[in-house]
Amino acid sequence: MDLFLWKIGGEAGFGIMTTGLSFGKVAIRSGYHVFDYNEYPSLIRGGHNTYEVMISSQEVYAQKQDIDLLVCLNKDTYTHHKHRLTDKSIVVYDADEFTIEETGFVKLHIPFASMKKEHHVMQIMVNTIALGASLALLSGDIAIFYEIIEKEFKRKGEEVIAFNKKLTDLGFNYIKEHYSEHIKPVLTRKQEKSKMILTGNDAFSLAAVVADCRFYAAYPMTPSSTVLTSLAGWQDKSKMVVRHAEDEIAVMNTVLGASFAGVRSATGTSGGGFALMVEGISFAGVAEISVVVFLSQRPGPATGMPTWTEQGDLLFAVNAGHGEFPKIVLAPGDIHEMFELTLKAFDLADIYQMPVIVMSDKFLSESHKSVNKEDISNLFANYHPNRGKLVNAPGEGKYLRYKITDDGISERLLPGAPGAFYQVNSYEHVEDGHTTEEAAPRIEQVDKRSRKWQTYLDSHFKAPRVYGDIETADAVFVSWGGNKGPIIEAQKMLDAQGKKTAYIHFTHIYPMNTSIVKDILSKDKRYILIENNAHGQFGKLLTMETGIMIKESLLKYDGRPIYKEEIVAKVNT
Amino acid sequence: MATQKDFSGYTGTWCPGCGDWGIGVAIKSAFVQMGMDPSSVGVVFDIGCSGNMNDVLNAYAIHGLHGRSVPTAVGMKLAHHKMPVVVIGGDGGLYGEGGNHFLHASRGNHDITLIAHDNSVYGLTTGQVAPDAQKGYKSKSTPQGMIEVSLNPLALALTQGASFVAQGFAGDVTALIELIKKAIHHKGFSLVNVLQPCVTFNKVNTYQYYMQRIYTLDHSYDRTNYKLALEKTQEFNEEKYPIGILYQSDRPAYHEQIAHLPQDSSLRERPAFRDFGLLIDDFV
Repeated sequence: MDLFLWKIGGEAGFGIMTTGLSFGKVAIRSGYHVFDYNEYPSLIRGGHNTYEVMISSQEVYAQKQDIDLLVCLNKDTYTHHKHRLTDKSIVVYDADEFTIEETGFVKLHIPFASMKKEHHVMQIMVNTIALGASLALLSGDIAIFYEIIEKEFKRKGEEVIAFNKKLTDLGFNYIKEHYSEHIKPVLTRKQEKSKMILTGNDAFSLAAVVADCRFYAAYPMTPSSTVLTSLAGWQDKSKMVVRHAEDEIAVMNTVLGASFAGVRSATGTSGGGFALMVEGISFAGVAEISVVVFLSQRPGPATGMPTWTEQGDLLFAVNAGHGEFPKIVLAPGDIHEMFELTLKAFDLADIYQMPVIVMSDKFLSESHKSVNKEDISNLFANYHPNRGKLVNAPGEGKYLRYKITDDGISERLLPGAPGAFYQVNSYEHVEDGHTTEEAAPRIEQVDKRSRKWQTYLDSHFKAPRVYGDIETADAVFVSWGGNKGPIIEAQKMLDAQGKKTAYIHFTHIYPMNTSIVKDILSKDKRYILIENNAHGQFGKLLTMETGIMIKESLLKYDGRPIYKEEIVAKVNT
Repeated sequence: MATQKDFSGYTGTWCPGCGDWGIGVAIKSAFVQMGMDPSSVGVVFDIGCSGNMNDVLNAYAIHGLHGRSVPTAVGMKLAHHKMPVVVIGGDGGLYGEGGNHFLHASRGNHDITLIAHDNSVYGLTTGQVAPDAQKGYKSKSTPQGMIEVSLNPLALALTQGASFVAQGFAGDVTALIELIKKAIHHKGFSLVNVLQPCVTFNKVNTYQYYMQRIYTLDHSYDRTNYKLALEKTQEFNEEKYPIGILYQSDRPAYHEQIAHLPQDSSLRERPAFRDFGLLIDDFV
């Protein structure tokens, strides 16, 4: 069984998220690849939480519809997911608590409630019993989970560790004694390269540290908040200064002040907070201040659906800021790309002295994926920041912060350097930074800033990567961001059905090299635009930039990510 | 040693008789007397008549967004705390548009100096009311008189944790120079609220108006007494304006309380962190 989906659900506040991640860690330590996806309401207690983990011996990029093992810690888990069960599915539940009338799948009763009573444990610890049971059913090595317990509860002492191990055994042994005939070889331990398991937010955070970002300010907003909390938590080690400021307006301007003073600086937010930062992005544009903005989207408008996913802010990001000025928008499609593009974003911000926006969404930001540890360690070891035309001392003659140059980029002098001074100015300005309202220098400065875009397109723009062969493909997908995972998984399914497909994956979203993009989109093919929004925003951007309209589209905007099965169904219509 | 001339950029564009002329001279004099030069000081200018000092005063400077000079200065300070950072702005930007930042920067006791031009009007947009004008003040945007009570910047700064709260008068440059020097010298958030007549748009709070109502806090005044300072800030309701340092404490500045920030160098100057293995281990 090469793609196995384990899913657990229960009441919010009862530790479902922690349990799900622990399960994922057991899987990677057993030698498997994982991809996980979680759902939770915008509540701390009382709602319904779920966590699903895909397990595979190959790299895996998305979840699937069919659930292979469903662990129900309450009746809602069953009710909400019974439509995803097949005749091969196993459902673990407590028959003393609720009954399941339907048949057609395997039902395994575990008396969670009476175990809880007998051993005097809190509801949150029932998860540990359920995890023990899951490991037994999937031939998992309980010693691996013991290691995780030891690491997690190190500070709480031996007694807590021993108690958690005992609870694990309880579930594990119950399966061995009662349901040995249902045990499947899913997590059988094997020797593989060491892996890491992390979310898009984790990858952005780690890459920010590696990029030598020294200042991060933010105001909490789902689904970007874990960047703030991770970076804040690492401060003792990384020595980054992390500031939770009064609002996103303060955040943006504080970051710009720090960047002006010479340290790499970044912020992160979601759509609503980004809206408050937009005046600052315009300021960074005209004043030519380097800044990286991490924008993790959730369904809007306004407060929208805070804990769900959508790609509804693409055109907003592309057009963010009043007036005309250059900026760069990048969109990673998976964890590895999040590492690479975040590192690149910090370089681009410094090289081009402009705002660089790194787009994510709840699906990419909060889903864990496994990656080879060695690949990431190598990526980090080989990275060295490129700070562009940043200089420590003024050269000959009067220093001109906004000197007119062929590539549009001027030398940037570190404030404090003796023998010089300058202002960065939110007003239009002349070469030395002084305010102007004259026509000629206005045109010169607008043109200078715009030239930075051409320099970027010539030097750092990367054409979309194509997965599959466009020439032989029956259908060609066009998409961006976290849809990459479900699309790649759908391609595998279609391939098995004998259907050839190709996927054009955009990461360097804006600006784009129109001739390259035009060429790739002008074949006589069935192009299908796939986006996690209602208006097909990337399609509109492509039309705006190239004049090409993609007629067919799969657009999903119910707050849920796109499932590979939906893509397959679209191709087969 | 730098001179006033070294700090002088373009000639100002303020109206004849505007308080900005005097405040501008006071700031440059304070910088010179403190032994600073344009390469050693950071200045963040807000937007407004006062912010237009950007082309007049030479420094490593940011002329940023209206109302956002305080958070911009906070970032500049945190990145390179060795450099003194001064904010020059008006009552519209600092107390109106940027009011939230003002109270949070007071709480944080960030080591920046605010020189607030308090003229009760928005001069650059031709005379609309500012939040610290008196209740009932008639302006183009409040033809029937301002309905709200006045914002009290001194009380606001004091109650939110600012460790240096002072008031000066644009008509007394000599005293203002001393106040600005002490404010910059102070480690922590320092406010110098400068009473400044707007000769073009404010016909109420004139030079004469202030001359009759200001008085200097003398040596007998105990500026470490918080309750006394709080009382002083309330005299504003009786149109009495104390000049001098109302309050000063030695509460540590924000950056001094960041345990992992090297105090003898700066965030910018510290060596890069490269021990990534320490963080990778969280994800296995």
